[in-house]
Amino acid sequence: MEAGGKGAAVAEPSWLAAFAAMALRQLLRFKAAKSRVINSLVFPLIWLVFFGLGWSAAFNFLGPMSRSLFGGLTYLQFLAPGIVIMTVFMAGFGSGLGLIWDREFGYFKEILVAPAPRSALLLGRIAGDSLAALLQGLIMAVLVTVLAGWPGVWGLLAGLAAAYVATLTSAGLGALIALSMRSPEGFQLVINLVILPMLFISGAFYPIDPLPAWLKALAYINPLYYAVDLARGVMYGVYSTPPLLDALGLALVTAGALGLAVAKFSRTYIA
Amino acid sequence: MGRGAEDYVIVAEGLRKRYDGVEALRGVSFRVRRGEVFGLLGPNGAGKTTTVGILVTLVKPSGGRAVVAGHDVAREPWEVRKRIGVVFQEPTVDRDLTAWQNLYVHGRIYGLPRRVIEERSRELMELVGLEKAMHRPLRSYSGGMIRRFEIARALLTEPMVLFMDEPTVGLDPQARAKVWEVIEELKKRGVTVFLTTHYMEEAERLCDHIAIIDHGRIIAEGSPEELKSMVGGDTLYLVAETRLDAEKLLRIASGYGEARIAEDGRVVVLVARDAPRLLPRILEEARAVGARIVETRYVRPTLNDVFLMLTGRSLRDEEGGWRDWARLHLHARRG
Repeated sequence: MEAGGKGAAVAEPSWLAAFAAMALRQLLRFKAAKSRVINSLVFPLIWLVFFGLGWSAAFNFLGPMSRSLFGGLTYLQFLAPGIVIMTVFMAGFGSGLGLIWDREFGYFKEILVAPAPRSALLLGRIAGDSLAALLQGLIMAVLVTVLAGWPGVWGLLAGLAAAYVATLTSAGLGALIALSMRSPEGFQLVINLVILPMLFISGAFYPIDPLPAWLKALAYINPLYYAVDLARGVMYGVYSTPPLLDALGLALVTAGALGLAVAKFSRTYIA
Repeated sequence: MGRGAEDYVIVAEGLRKRYDGVEALRGVSFRVRRGEVFGLLGPNGAGKTTTVGILVTLVKPSGGRAVVAGHDVAREPWEVRKRIGVVFQEPTVDRDLTAWQNLYVHGRIYGLPRRVIEERSRELMELVGLEKAMHRPLRSYSGGMIRRFEIARALLTEPMVLFMDEPTVGLDPQARAKVWEVIEELKKRGVTVFLTTHYMEEAERLCDHIAIIDHGRIIAEGSPEELKSMVGGDTLYLVAETRLDAEKLLRIASGYGEARIAEDGRVVVLVARDAPRLLPRILEEARAVGARIVETRYVRPTLNDVFLMLTGRSLRDEEGGWRDWARLHLHARRG
């Protein structure tokens, strides 16, 4: 070892290596924290069982007429894709929360002082977290489709693909919020103010078509709406918006969120 | 190319930093030579961490200029980051991962190939005495182990300079001694080290060159010996058997410095340079004139005396306080 030696070769950081290293780190953390996986599945499952089965029974009482409200689907089928999206979307926000914890526990500085491009470090981290979220989404998708009806392998995979993009959206938004926040408490507050309304006007729990115009307008700028509609379409064949528009809306919001998060992270100094 | 650029790993010129109207740094300048251990010594709040922050590119200076490893920290932070290793004041490790996983991720982020990471990791973990703990999660490490691990991690890329901000703050004496041993080993190997500390023993033991900082200004600079000689020399106490002997001794001592008789008339106090070499000579002369000495001792000035002389305050008040302890342990608990 000859640190500080004259003319010592300086390693050149590579975008891809740094990206992969950060993704690996997030996956290793995920592996080390099994309770987090269970935790992220419990909340959506509670919705599915207590909310979904409850309303499903109520709508069945109304008879076949109720199905017209859900584009011909049973309420459970209508709800199932939303539950999957909700699972991965919340896991994606967890990625932003991770940034806050890294700042609390110091690891953030290790990343800030690294010579690798900030975009590689942030996107690598998001890639790792979103893969972990996808695994949770897969578990949830299998659970809900057992209850609601099997959409076929391709339907399931396409639904998961939509879910994956939704994870990237929430991870980007989560990172953006986390980088603007100082404390975990503040992040939690913002998340509650953002996540819950987004979930409710996403069309995951009830169709948004009969809603008043101003609520509908909010839905159309909600990336979750496009993700849920897309997932429901590819899984059970029922769309409220043309699938291409869904995909486009989702892609735009995702790219915007990720781009803003990277820009914010690139400008981050300690002071 | 002038001599400066080659010989100095760090050149700081007139660094200033203002936080919300408070001036943390008011024009700090110094140079760090290749291969030396440079210490920035000063009380808490003097501006040490801000200075390190600027040098490692995480704090933007409000004024002045710093060149680290040949690159300007404000204009080419990426180039600086490639060439430095940093051990921050608070731990910056991932406690859920093992030491090896932390090292691997670090190495890959800096662009090292896996083979190199494996080789150097083994070597460095041995250097810091953690080779047996390579595959343990860092959660199971003590504060001192984490600190030594962070030194190993920072050296993975063979940086031109290793920064350490208060490397032993909050550690118990045993853990501190181990960290010191590691830094002394680095010194032997010629690694350039920039460290900050408010422990004067640490600065005295480890540093080739010390800059004393207070209220955002460098108030003195030099080798530990140079700094201590500012105080005026060592104090020797010669206890004679009788008052008569003491008077004979006083005549001898006066030839070497400022001497007087103190206490019950049997103690000669002499302030002079280089007591360890002077004492044998005085003993010899005393024997020649038959002055009997029953006891001798001498006190060398410490960096604290230097700080006291320059500021009228004592660095000791700052030392090992509960605040240091709390700073580290509150952090560890959350981590």
